[in-house]
Amino acid sequence: MYGWIWRHLPGNAWVRALISLLLILAVVYVLFQYVFPWAEPLLPFNDVTVDDQ
Amino acid sequence: MRLIVRTVSELCMTAGALIVLFVAYVLFWTGVDADNEMDRQVESLKQQWAEDGRKPAAAPYRDGRPFALMYIPRLGFTWNKPVLEGTRTSTLKKGLGHYAATARLGGQGNFAVAGHRRTYGDPFKDFPELRRGDAVVLSDGTTWFTYRIDKGPYKTLPADIQVIDPVPRKSGYTRPGRYLTLTTCDPEWGHSHRLIVWAHLESTQPVDAGKPEALRR
Repeated sequence: MYGWIWRHLPGNAWVRALISLLLILAVVYVLFQYVFPWAEPLLPFNDVTVDDQ
Repeated sequence: MRLIVRTVSELCMTAGALIVLFVAYVLFWTGVDADNEMDRQVESLKQQWAEDGRKPAAAPYRDGRPFALMYIPRLGFTWNKPVLEGTRTSTLKKGLGHYAATARLGGQGNFAVAGHRRTYGDPFKDFPELRRGDAVVLSDGTTWFTYRIDKGPYKTLPADIQVIDPVPRKSGYTRPGRYLTLTTCDPEWGHSHRLIVWAHLESTQPVDAGKPEALRR
């Protein structure tokens, strides 16, 4: 999987490493900004009221 | 064969990294986020109060908007959190939430507030430390309200909505009065129970008169 991505990135090893880093940062950003905020309320830490359920 | 093994192990590593990131998010990032958000709420409150001047704060609370600041010296001398209207998940990420169906701040009945025990800034992390006689002080911009805790922390079940009744069940109060109820979850990281404390309104004073006794060092 990662090998496949690596082979399909353009440029030499340095350029590929840089692009990989940017891709990783983009993934982490999307996770923190969109995916985790959606997933977190499914955990029990939000249940602090007595009338919601 | 080798390709399959490699792909599976890559997926496992990815899943592991994902879990580590998620734990970091829940433990750390929600706190950073919430602290920033609470600062923003406090800021907007103070600005609102500055604009309102001396108008009595009789306006109805607006859902999801801050309307008061809470201070609990027992939880730390610098502990103060904004109180927002409503107890929706998105509201509780920004501060403490006032149960919309309960009394207004300082009003006749029960002013009930919920807050996170853990995550989102851990506002009520030290909830079990609260004792009878502790002060809970609130300000709505014109008046300081000092409540005194009478009972707690009382452990109950999530469905026990009578704890936020105007005269809360199990609180020991028998007559109508001006009460305050705080709720959070128990155990710390769980959701099987709720912790409750009750307080009564001891005194009020205009903000011009300076900080109430309970907040002076």
